[in-house]
Amino acid sequence: MPDQPEPFSAPLRHHPHPAPGPGDWDVVVVGGGHAGVEAALAAVRLGARTAIVSFRRELFGEMSCNPAIGGLGKGQIVKEIDALGGIMGRVADATGIQFRMLNTRKGAAVRAPRCQSDRHRYREEVCRLMEACAGLDIFEGEAASLLTEVRAGTPWVCGVRLKDGQELRGRSVILTTGTFLRSIMHQGDEISVGGRIGERSATELAKDLERFQLAIGRLKTGTPARLVADSIRWSELEEQAGDEFPLPFSWATPRDKFPALPSQPCHITYTNEAAHEIIRANLHRAPMYTGAIQGVGPRYCPAVEDKVTRFADRAQHQLFLEPEGLDTDWIYANGISTSLPKEVQEAFVHVIPGLEKARFYRHGYAVEYDFVQPSQLDDTLAVRKVPGLYLAGQINGTSGYEEAAAQGLMAGANAALWTSERAPFVLARHEAYIGVMIDDLVVTNPTEPYRMFTSRAEYRLLLRQDNADSRLLELGYGIGLVGEDQYADYRARKGRLEAARKLFDSTRSGQKTWTELLRRPEVTVRSDAAMEKALAGFCLSAEEIDRVETDIKYEGYVKNQLEDVERARRQEGIEIPPDFDLAGLKGLGEEARQKIMELRPRTLGAAGRIDGVRPPDVALLSVFLERHRRAEAEAR
Amino acid sequence: MGNTGTIAAIASPRGPGARGVIRVSGPEAASVVREVWCGDEPLAEAETRGFQFGRFDDGRGTQPLMLLWMPGPRSFTREDVAEFHLPGSPPLLEAALERILSLGVRSAQAGEFTRRAFENGRIDLTRAEGILELVHARSEAERRAATALLLGGLSDRLAPLRDGLAALRALSEASLDFDETDTGHVPSEELEAMGNRLLDGLREATRWEARRSKGTDLPRVALVGDPNAGKSSLFNALVQDARALVSELSGTTRDVLIGTWDLGEFQVELVDTAGLDSDATGPDREAQRMGQRYLESADLQLWLVDPRGLTPADLEARFKRLPAAPNRLLIWTKADLHPAEGLAARRTRGAGPQPIESRAGAVHSPAQDLDGLPRLAVSSSSGQGRSELQAAVAQILGSEGPAGTPIPRREREIGIRHQVALNAAALALQGGLEAFQVGLPLDQFAQHLRQAGAQLDAIHGRTTAEDLLTRIFSSFCIGK
Repeated sequence: MPDQPEPFSAPLRHHPHPAPGPGDWDVVVVGGGHAGVEAALAAVRLGARTAIVSFRRELFGEMSCNPAIGGLGKGQIVKEIDALGGIMGRVADATGIQFRMLNTRKGAAVRAPRCQSDRHRYREEVCRLMEACAGLDIFEGEAASLLTEVRAGTPWVCGVRLKDGQELRGRSVILTTGTFLRSIMHQGDEISVGGRIGERSATELAKDLERFQLAIGRLKTGTPARLVADSIRWSELEEQAGDEFPLPFSWATPRDKFPALPSQPCHITYTNEAAHEIIRANLHRAPMYTGAIQGVGPRYCPAVEDKVTRFADRAQHQLFLEPEGLDTDWIYANGISTSLPKEVQEAFVHVIPGLEKARFYRHGYAVEYDFVQPSQLDDTLAVRKVPGLYLAGQINGTSGYEEAAAQGLMAGANAALWTSERAPFVLARHEAYIGVMIDDLVVTNPTEPYRMFTSRAEYRLLLRQDNADSRLLELGYGIGLVGEDQYADYRARKGRLEAARKLFDSTRSGQKTWTELLRRPEVTVRSDAAMEKALAGFCLSAEEIDRVETDIKYEGYVKNQLEDVERARRQEGIEIPPDFDLAGLKGLGEEARQKIMELRPRTLGAAGRIDGVRPPDVALLSVFLERHRRAEAEAR
Repeated sequence: MGNTGTIAAIASPRGPGARGVIRVSGPEAASVVREVWCGDEPLAEAETRGFQFGRFDDGRGTQPLMLLWMPGPRSFTREDVAEFHLPGSPPLLEAALERILSLGVRSAQAGEFTRRAFENGRIDLTRAEGILELVHARSEAERRAATALLLGGLSDRLAPLRDGLAALRALSEASLDFDETDTGHVPSEELEAMGNRLLDGLREATRWEARRSKGTDLPRVALVGDPNAGKSSLFNALVQDARALVSELSGTTRDVLIGTWDLGEFQVELVDTAGLDSDATGPDREAQRMGQRYLESADLQLWLVDPRGLTPADLEARFKRLPAAPNRLLIWTKADLHPAEGLAARRTRGAGPQPIESRAGAVHSPAQDLDGLPRLAVSSSSGQGRSELQAAVAQILGSEGPAGTPIPRREREIGIRHQVALNAAALALQGGLEAFQVGLPLDQFAQHLRQAGAQLDAIHGRTTAEDLLTRIFSSFCIGK
């Protein structure tokens, strides 16, 4: 495999704000969800004095929605988090109760791992790691407001005040409050305040944030009913088991002790016309249709009332019944997210095959919440106009545990790097899905919760789940995110892969080398006895053999995409200074000018990706920027 | 739209001229030169002063080449620059440009050479302002030219192709981004069938665009004159490949005839229209109207007059009825029948037809004055005056181009770019389909589709990831 290209213009990257003042902690994290825990742990790994504030310390890593990690586009992110020293992959491996590799027949670049998790064990394992983390101070409570001090006319964030009056003085603050900002739950015409059943909303904090005059949007998300296991007629239903030879997410998970827990099946059933009829007849009681909900929900995970309206021609929709754990009889009914009144939910569920007698532990509900328009962020996830403040996770308009965790890790790392006056850590679009996501976020104002899809990555064939370690581990080790053990393990693996590759390059079968043979779609190591035998001495695991083979099969495309990366490199390296004035630029298209002024892309490359910015606009901008640069240089 | 890479554009003045120049700048310039150079002398790659003489292999044949090779940084852009000086014939020049673009070189954006010169420190800050104006003006001009071209029918052909490709991409992306159990999954046979239909469409559009850009963009010379003035004789004498542009309504012989007239240095399109004096009605009027349109778009009008028995007043009257033209040449026809006598000799100062060379100043002005009109005597049957006519037409349409109606070279360049892009899109799709049939995984197939999409985007705006997702979500109910 050709070397990964140099990271983009690392020396060009800088934090958006000058160095912070003093404080008891370098980084204070607010929120203990998937973003918060990765943020705190990343900051600690980088040596930052770190504190975390959460409502309840036994709820770190709670899975508020479905009991699953990974999936298409998301499994790749989990592997990337793992390659950067994060915990999501390891915890998922330790607490998974069913592992499947998705999309196995469509190519290695879109293959993605997913697992069903025991949600209680998952949370407990996260809590264990948090409590065991030396150098992390944990506070229980509600963050009520941000502490600020005015420096040079600008309010700087310098800590958090808790509701009980306690003040945590931090040089930087990361908000990872998920859906808890001004959150409202809907169930029919019942409305309650809160971001998760049985929990509060961070109303005071939301109010305090108004001071900073950030642009705020409103989104909606939904969750389905949880059913009682022994009320379901399982024998009626199609079973879906995990993989026979499951693979873990984390490279650190010992293969001989995996999987740690016994595998549990999921079950599949389908909605039907009778159920659709009941839903349609009660649409006037659905908050989404009565106008009670103003937030916009996702198109990719629609509520069931949306499904039957928008796809009226479909006679049925699939429904996955997922176990929530080994020691629980809660069943998560994936596919019928809804905010209809309780009795309507019961009525339509009871006409679905297998669920005729189903009892409800909890009914489905919708959550409406505020998010901060992410175009106000720098690509270190720092808020551009509020020094000291970082945001990560659903507060930025994303959806999903994986997307949140990845942002948390990046925000934690960058806050720690900023407070220790080191260069920021930014990933490029060809390096990681994490890079694609953050680059997308900072030039978009999402109109629905942002979820990762592989089609968002123009360099998709570079960003495989199986090569996340080659893409990122070295970078993570370079700044201190990755520990010595993990790094040594990676070096050893890399050595094994390279030795195997040499063998393929140098062994001939007839006119062709094995490498050349393997490029053919129909040839695989497993179908070739000679190859398999020769590899036996190399101590490669089955997944490592697959890795060598995949590297060879994708080599041509990788080369092709790396050339595209090279072509884009120059524009990606041209920075648009934050103070650069676009108002007086002649010739720039009006739409382009408005979008660029609104979204403030950080580089010329990012500007070019904005919808409405045309190539001549980019050309013009590049000339303006060069002129600006020279004028600055002369002034100095 | 990277700023990097190697770029090429026609750099000589528009229109046919004695010499055409293609400029190439960037890291691949040297390999382009090596690729196209063929000649008795080996290529000298070190810096040389002045021209190197050889031949240019444009893939269909070779043409004489004078090469100016300027390795960076001692060039205008401070990159490696090659200037290919070629015969001024537009078709040859375009063949050469097409060949260069097919070597992976990108067609230069408006003002891009200048911009590179600026960015690479060749031009100082004070000139930056001027360049900004230039870039803007050029991109405006390019936009207008492209719009004009697209309105010419390509847009109608492109729209369904773009749409078809976006639909195919959305289907394959849905298949990649959603599990088999979801509804987004599409059988590969269906993807293949769509791909094959699209490939046919792309090929057809490429052929259409290639056909269209031949002929229609040549400088146009129109014959006008009385029905018996000898237009058809002259037309037949000058043109080998005459084709009639038959009006659907009339189908009479009075329709427009078009042919290519080879002037040696370059070609022009010669148009023979229906007679001017007829009191046409019905279908004939329709034919005339069509002829009129062709006349008005001509770069040069050859006004044919049989001088026998024509009084100066008659001539004056006919002159006033001529359709407007940027350039006009008066031809005394049937010169073999009236040697050195008649109206021509009487009306002009001096004897016989006025030699064009001596009236060089008047050649380029749209002659509104009968006395100032350049004139020649020609005989279709004896061939008398033919070479003078050829020289005169070449001079009028020569390097400076006809005044008034510029030959839209940018359009021609864009036309070539379209062909190259359509062809590249077809090749990307074809490569993907062939490999897909023998087991290439869908993610790699999708990369071929992405490449094809990028080519079409280059013609007609961008398809973003968001566009594809919108398509997916409007067609599929996705969703665990």
